[in-house]
Amino acid sequence: MKKIIKNFYDYLDERLHLEDLVHFMGKKYVPVHSHSLWYYFGGVSLFFFIVQVITGILLLFYYKAGPDLAFESIQYIMSKVQFGWLIRSVHGWAANLFILSAVIHMFSVYFEKAYRKPRELTWISGMLMLFLGMGFGFSGYLLPWNELSFFATKVGSDIAGAVPIIGEPMKILMRGGPDVTGATLSRLFGFHVALFPGIFTVVLGIHLLLIQRQGISEPMHFEQLDKKEKKTMPFFPNFLLRDLLLWLVMLNVLAILAVFFPAELGHKADAFGSAPEGIKPEWYFLFMFQSLKYLPAHILFIEGEVLGILLFGAAFALWLIVPFWDRKTARGEQNKLITYIGIFVIIFIIVLTILGWVA
Amino acid sequence: MKKIIFFVFTLFLLNGFFFLHGKTPESSDQCFVCHEQLGGVADLFKKDIHFQKGISCSGCHGGDSKTDDMDKAMSKSAGFLGIPKGDDISLRCANCHAKKEMMQKYGSQLPTNQLELLKASVHGKLSTNGKEKIIQCTTCHNAHGIVSVKNPVSPVYSLNIPNTCGKCHSNAKYMQTYNPSLSVDQVAKYRTSVHGMLNAKGDPKPAECASCHGSHGIRATADTKSQVYALNIPETCSKCHSDAQYMAGYKIPTDQYAKYAKSVHGKALLEKHDVGAPACNSCHGNHGATPPGVESISKVCGSCHALNADLFSSSPHKQAFDKEKLPECETCHSNHEILPATKAMLGVDKEAVCSKCHTETKSTKGYFVAQKMRSYIDSLDVSEALALKLIYEAEQKGMEISETKFKLRDAHQAKLEARTMVHSFNEEKFKEVVIGKGLAVTTASISEAREAVDNYFFRRYGLMVSVFIISLLSLSLYLYIKQIEKKQASKLP
Amino acid sequence: MSDLDSNQNRRSFLKYLLSTSIVGFFASVLYPIVSYLNPPKQNEVEVSTVLAGKISDFEKDSGKIIRFGNKPVLVIRTEKDEFKALSAVCTHLDCTVQYKKEMGLIWCACHNGKYDLTGKNVSGPPPRPLEVYQINKQGENIFVSKKA
Repeated sequence: MKKIIKNFYDYLDERLHLEDLVHFMGKKYVPVHSHSLWYYFGGVSLFFFIVQVITGILLLFYYKAGPDLAFESIQYIMSKVQFGWLIRSVHGWAANLFILSAVIHMFSVYFEKAYRKPRELTWISGMLMLFLGMGFGFSGYLLPWNELSFFATKVGSDIAGAVPIIGEPMKILMRGGPDVTGATLSRLFGFHVALFPGIFTVVLGIHLLLIQRQGISEPMHFEQLDKKEKKTMPFFPNFLLRDLLLWLVMLNVLAILAVFFPAELGHKADAFGSAPEGIKPEWYFLFMFQSLKYLPAHILFIEGEVLGILLFGAAFALWLIVPFWDRKTARGEQNKLITYIGIFVIIFIIVLTILGWVA
Repeated sequence: MKKIIFFVFTLFLLNGFFFLHGKTPESSDQCFVCHEQLGGVADLFKKDIHFQKGISCSGCHGGDSKTDDMDKAMSKSAGFLGIPKGDDISLRCANCHAKKEMMQKYGSQLPTNQLELLKASVHGKLSTNGKEKIIQCTTCHNAHGIVSVKNPVSPVYSLNIPNTCGKCHSNAKYMQTYNPSLSVDQVAKYRTSVHGMLNAKGDPKPAECASCHGSHGIRATADTKSQVYALNIPETCSKCHSDAQYMAGYKIPTDQYAKYAKSVHGKALLEKHDVGAPACNSCHGNHGATPPGVESISKVCGSCHALNADLFSSSPHKQAFDKEKLPECETCHSNHEILPATKAMLGVDKEAVCSKCHTETKSTKGYFVAQKMRSYIDSLDVSEALALKLIYEAEQKGMEISETKFKLRDAHQAKLEARTMVHSFNEEKFKEVVIGKGLAVTTASISEAREAVDNYFFRRYGLMVSVFIISLLSLSLYLYIKQIEKKQASKLP
Repeated sequence: MSDLDSNQNRRSFLKYLLSTSIVGFFASVLYPIVSYLNPPKQNEVEVSTVLAGKISDFEKDSGKIIRFGNKPVLVIRTEKDEFKALSAVCTHLDCTVQYKKEMGLIWCACHNGKYDLTGKNVSGPPPRPLEVYQINKQGENIFVSKKA
């Protein structure tokens, strides 16, 4: 057995020079310090993404997009296909956990200010993936074509439609018409299984390439340390194996969640039915949804909702380009302001999400 | 046909007459001056509303009424038309009656769409000989001697209408020529109805033919625009019967339409457009419209609700109702406002109809039977609700339960059958349907759905196995990492 | 010496544990995936054709309710040896109808609704005719399918 593996490795090595790769990986080090834990969330996000790709492909084998068949095919997957319930529930849970771990990953990078030069592009590619992840969530939510998803999509795209000038065309583009219909389903299905995965894969490739090229970011206080005082661990095998260990733990968590809290079917969407009470978007949109609710109908001469959407847009844009306006960190100084802003944002999101949840 | 021959014949005669006598006294209407001496039509025309308004013979017949020279007056160059024939008759009338300004000139407020309506009507579309339509204006209004509708001598005065219509519609031989399938007993039936009897007594208010069928625009009953098309009947009747002012003096209520519209029949007909649902005439008759008597109610309802009527007739209630002179179906279901039957009607509660007669102290046997029957239905309802809940739960958990769901249809069926069977007022028969059929199905469904839900929890055993394996792998991987790091540490200087 | 030995033992045990649990892991992940890929018995989302039974399963001049997806369908073998299939759901209040030999009609027990053998509502409260399904014979087998 060992001999076969050895022979296979030699065969590949002869052609691909694997030795270089192993050497390169062996020379990569991950800094060890009190905040090292946060390094793992990027890998965990990657794990959930892989789970999504696998379960997503599996669901595609039985799912049929279209207002007549979407709900029925999900019903079919849930009841007739062996382990269909498991695949669907895992897909649903991994989607949520992906967003969660990506958000944690994003905030850890933010607070460590790891976005500073030379990793601006890594930050931007990561943020793009987070936005895409939300897009995945929004488009995937409609696919079961049940009452809840139908009306959540309606409300969600209505909010997008309130953006001045570009809102209306954006809404039409998203819905494939003025209303949420079967056309919307086909469209969001296309986004969910073709457009978004395509873009995501490219951006993910860039993101990973940048990390491999630049190495793992060191915390700022490492810069003052002597080379001998820097505690590190080899990326391979130490860090990679730990990452794998965490992936296994996450897989366990997923399985438990999928069995104890399986994805529900709900009632089939009826375009002419009245909206069920308490329509809420997915939890990661909840803080925005809730803050828009608190805004008065009119602020000065502008509609409250429109102003809110514009403010959120501006905030996201500022957040996205933080590596470029945070000059202090770029110079290697401590920038407390960034930390305070971050803490404020986290508190804001948590409080409004809870308020939205309870409401 | 005879009439026409007669007219032509008189015309010839008259022509000769004029020829012989030649000269007549000067007058503004020379036609009338001559024809008056001849009697006949001219005498009739004297009473005609058109004559009274100063319209000359030439208004319809053409020619020059100013001259006493017969050749000139009745020459083609003077526009003489003679006797209009066929469809030309109505066109002659419409010459003035379809023109607003013309009608205003004579101070008339009459509508101007009669010919238009007539053309769209069954009378204006059909033809017996292929040349002319069945009815011309003159058929009902007469040719000479036309008077206002309000004038009791008019053939279209409300008291005269039945006979006017009956001239053709009661004539089997005539009706055969163009609609052999139509019966010819309408007037005879009408005379037996409340409307017809009052009409015969000289009351002009009760409905006659035109009240329901319309006058100029009469359409076939199958025509959706007809006032007597099934969907339109309730509104047609309500035109009078919901008008409290109009109905004053007849001592009957005017809320039938409002009640009917709320009823299960009214909703089926007016909202769902189910033309099979009964309209007013289905129970009251149409031409012989009369309220059904106490005796006949169950026959009337039973014409559709046959099973219920059969069961009722063989039940002990039949005799009791007859003795008390209670109207059968109506006693419990009311008449116009028949609501969908629910279980609330059954039992001994306040809303239950049984408690109207059966109380704890009076007719006690029925009281206890009603109480029991209600309890059967209640337990079926509870059981069905539980079965539905469990099936839904199992479905949401992704369990295959369609077989059970399919089977549960029988519970719904049992409930509907129970609604019929209740008319036997026999506890045993009722129990057999509700408990024997319905509850048996729901109980079986409940246990199957429970099993499905239990099966769902069986998944947890599978989960336990895989969680164990993954945990084991995690643990060994952890130990493996420790081992590697120990080795690395020992290698360091 | 014994210390080294036990170290060696521990190491080989760990290797054994690691390799078996990797195999177990792949089994527990692949098992659901492989069974998922195995097509289920009912291999379409919507039922379009159902085997009603063999010709010999139906007596002459009788009817039988079969399951068509979630809906009951009444399959009738007429006196003249024709096969007919109609929706068994009464259009009045959703009861299940049955073939009545004595009347040669389709009859609903709930309100005495009657339909003729083409599904037309001929008497009683049903407002609409019954939906007609298509019959296909394949050798001895009778198939019922939705009319296109």
